[in-house]
Amino acid sequence: MPGMADPELKSKVEELIGANPVLLFMKGTPDMPRCGFSMRVVQVLDQVDVEYGAIDVLPALQPLREVTAEISDWQTFPQLYVNGELIGGADIVEEMFESGELAEALGVEQPAVAQVPQDGPPAQSPPLQIE
Amino acid sequence: MANLAELKGMIEAALPGASVEISDETGAGDHLRATVSAPQFEGLSRIDQHRLVKAAAKERFDDGTIHALSVKTSVPS
Repeated sequence: MPGMADPELKSKVEELIGANPVLLFMKGTPDMPRCGFSMRVVQVLDQVDVEYGAIDVLPALQPLREVTAEISDWQTFPQLYVNGELIGGADIVEEMFESGELAEALGVEQPAVAQVPQDGPPAQSPPLQIE
Repeated sequence: MANLAELKGMIEAALPGASVEISDETGAGDHLRATVSAPQFEGLSRIDQHRLVKAAAKERFDDGTIHALSVKTSVPS
């Protein structure tokens, strides 16, 4: 059963969400995603070609679930935040990508071919790390 | 192992009038897909629609029966 979120961690997470226009909480890193859902979000972000921060939740999985449960009423990862707001996980990100809503939310042009990829290229963006 | 029929029932109970389909993505019962069309979704953002579905399944997340749930929502036309 989830407990109370660690206040210091929560504060750090809120800071990161505020400091990054696009922030992805994922399992693993963009270069090496450790779950299929996280990989799908990375592949979409690659296609949209936008800069983003990435946090690997695996080193502090349960504490981070508790934090995001309190911040966003959402406990599963990946979680994509755009301009401080939780957009969703892999399903929502893919749907919004195909419809053009994601590009709009990110303030970028919709790629000419917006397809949910089966195999994508590795991401270029550097990951951030939580201490 | 999650019981697909039970999960369908939980979502239907939480969202009366919804049409719910559950499928098993891996065959092992822990990665499920829920396709839900519900009048209650009208006007809600996708994430809020997903929150309603996840809340209905909360017990099975908490007890570890469901490891991952893919959700696809729509509003009945």
